[in-house]
Amino acid sequence: MLETKLGSLRLANPVLSASGTYGSGWEGRTFSDLSRVGGLVSKTVTLRPRHGNPPPRIWETASGMLNSIGLENKGVEWFLADTLPKMRTLGPKLIINIGGETLAEFVQLAELFCSAGIDALEVNLSCPNVQEGKLLFSTDPRMTERTVAAVKRVANVPVFAKLSPNVTDITPIARAAEQGGADGITAINTLIGMAVDWRKQKPVLSRGIGGLSGPAIKPVALRMVHEVAKCVRIPIIGVGGARTAEDVLEFLCAGASAVEIGTASFVDPAVFVGIVDDLERLLTEVGSSVGAMSRSMLRNLPQPPPMHGRQAELPR
Amino acid sequence: MQTKLLRVRRVRDLGGDSFALEIDGPIPTTLPGQFFMLRTERHWPVLLPRPFSLFDRAADGSWGSFLIKVAGPGTKALVEQRTGEGVHVTGPLGRPFSDDVLEPVCIAGGIGLAPFLSLARRYRELGRPLPRLLFGGRNQAALAGIEDFAGIARVFASTDDGSHGFHGLVTQLLDSLLVSKVVQPGETVFCCGPDRMMHAVAKLCEQRGLRCFLSLETYMACGFGVCNGCTVEVQGPRFHGWPYSKACQDGPVYESCELSLH
Ligand SMILES: Cc1cc2nc3c(=O)[nH]c(=O)nc-3n(C[C@H](O)[C@H](O)[C@H](O)COP(=O)(O)OP(=O)(O)OC[C@H]3O[C@@H](n4cnc5c(N)ncnc54)[C@H](O)[C@@H]3O)c2cc1C
Ligand SMILES: Cc1cc2nc3c(=O)[nH]c(=O)nc-3n(C[C@H](O)[C@H](O)[C@H](O)COP(=O)(O)O)c2cc1C
Ligand code: FES
Repeated sequence: MLETKLGSLRLANPVLSASGTYGSGWEGRTFSDLSRVGGLVSKTVTLRPRHGNPPPRIWETASGMLNSIGLENKGVEWFLADTLPKMRTLGPKLIINIGGETLAEFVQLAELFCSAGIDALEVNLSCPNVQEGKLLFSTDPRMTERTVAAVKRVANVPVFAKLSPNVTDITPIARAAEQGGADGITAINTLIGMAVDWRKQKPVLSRGIGGLSGPAIKPVALRMVHEVAKCVRIPIIGVGGARTAEDVLEFLCAGASAVEIGTASFVDPAVFVGIVDDLERLLTEVGSSVGAMSRSMLRNLPQPPPMHGRQAELPR
Repeated sequence: MQTKLLRVRRVRDLGGDSFALEIDGPIPTTLPGQFFMLRTERHWPVLLPRPFSLFDRAADGSWGSFLIKVAGPGTKALVEQRTGEGVHVTGPLGRPFSDDVLEPVCIAGGIGLAPFLSLARRYRELGRPLPRLLFGGRNQAALAGIEDFAGIARVFASTDDGSHGFHGLVTQLLDSLLVSKVVQPGETVFCCGPDRMMHAVAKLCEQRGLRCFLSLETYMACGFGVCNGCTVEVQGPRFHGWPYSKACQDGPVYESCELSLH
């Protein structure tokens, strides 16, 4: 009833941790039985160690939070030696999120992880490409396609492209990822925002801006998952603001085949198993399944009229 | 470690916007300096849970309490809880004060008193000498919670306005105790309080040849080491050259020489 598929990756249920919000899973192992989670997504791993940004890095906002961690991590060598073996003892499917500053770095990371043995790769395309004026990979269809294609060439596991919502239109990027051979799309990463300390007359976060996550972004994430679902045939991992089984079902209906839970795990470190239990209960109640719910809005509903048309119809 | 839904036993108003939030157990064994993430079960007005030191705990863990000063919506919701209402409690979290220091000089400002009651109780249980507690506040009302230390600590209070105890800052109190040899150079200070006070205490300790540990109140999101948000700039062998540390895991207690105090 709860099983789902992301390309060739079979998951016992559609509930995954999100990248950067549950460490490697190891830190959370005492809170609940993590073997019951559909899969664990690692924090973004980079080739070299990264110290990340100076504090302050986080700030709570209305129904959400801003972060600018700066991809702090000890690098792939440490991850392979120390973290991956620990993750393996936890039970669920392991999806490793990788981040590169160049196309070559993505390829190198993919090779290292595929030979180490993992279940899937998630390519964090919200990374600046240092060879292309620090433009984020995921803001450009060409860079997205090339990066995904290069990773696919060396990967022996499914590859998911994680997209940034900070673009005028996500659909050409999603199509580019599909064109590059991605086995799935993860949407969305955080929305860029800012918090201001008016007494100091400066931004709260050290880097000025940060990524917004949490319940505040759920409507945006649902909209983008739905838009992507309408333009690609590959499965989608929905992420952004989900914290309950109902939220997971909403993402499934809108077009997702699995859902990552990020900020909600800060609120409740055992959130995943609670969602899995509730999901089972809700689906039993309505006599449905994850498979039937997934993408159901694309099957059931007539295509919504284009945006400008809809706005024109709204009563003033 | 787990998140438990526990029940409020009662909330005691200690004056000066401070409250003791008492919670029915089971409260796990906790070392002085460790903390818990708290969130009300209903009507939690914000998103993230909030960190609090454990103030007191029954020897059998059947209840525990938190010393809470109202600072914003989260703390307000917690102290407005009524008997029987639910609180989500995660912990104990973080690294405690070193347990190897047999006769610490505890210095607290305001709500920074919280970690030292369980320290005093623990030291009595272990048959160690009574810890010295220097507690400073703006005025008498700011010394909420101090009565609980009667008989389990040697208490020295100071107020900025002289309304209670030593007239002056807690650093001046420390200096006077060095003169009267109640505190000797080479001893170890455990300090918790507002940033400015902790910085002043750390500086004075350095000048007077005292070792100094600070318990930081760093802004946190998760409290259990997964968000990388509670970053503190650090130096020293414990961090293997890494310039940052997670206050919720490596801290909240740091030796002052590990911190870049500006
Ligand atoms: C390890 C630890 C132990 C603690 N123990 C106790 C305790 O025993 N008792 C107690 O009363 N409090 C304690 N605190 C502090 C307590 O967690 C905060 O007061 C609480 O989170 C405030 O939440 P709020 O929703 O009421 O207010 P918020 O609205 O979250 O904050 C209140 C005000 O403080 C500001 N603020 C809060 N934290 C920071 C920060 N780090 N940097 C800059 N500005 C900040 C906010 O901007 C706001 O103006 C502890 C904190 C830590 C990290
Ligand atoms: C503190 C924090 C750190 C994050 N780190 C990463 C990261 O390293 N790599 C990544 O791809 N996404 C990262 N994200 C984004 C999340 O994986 C997720 O896409 C986003 O937070 C939206 O989901 P949520 O609202 O459920 O948190 C991070 C988010 C937060 C809040
Ligand atoms: S508060 Fe999240 S890592 Fe420390």
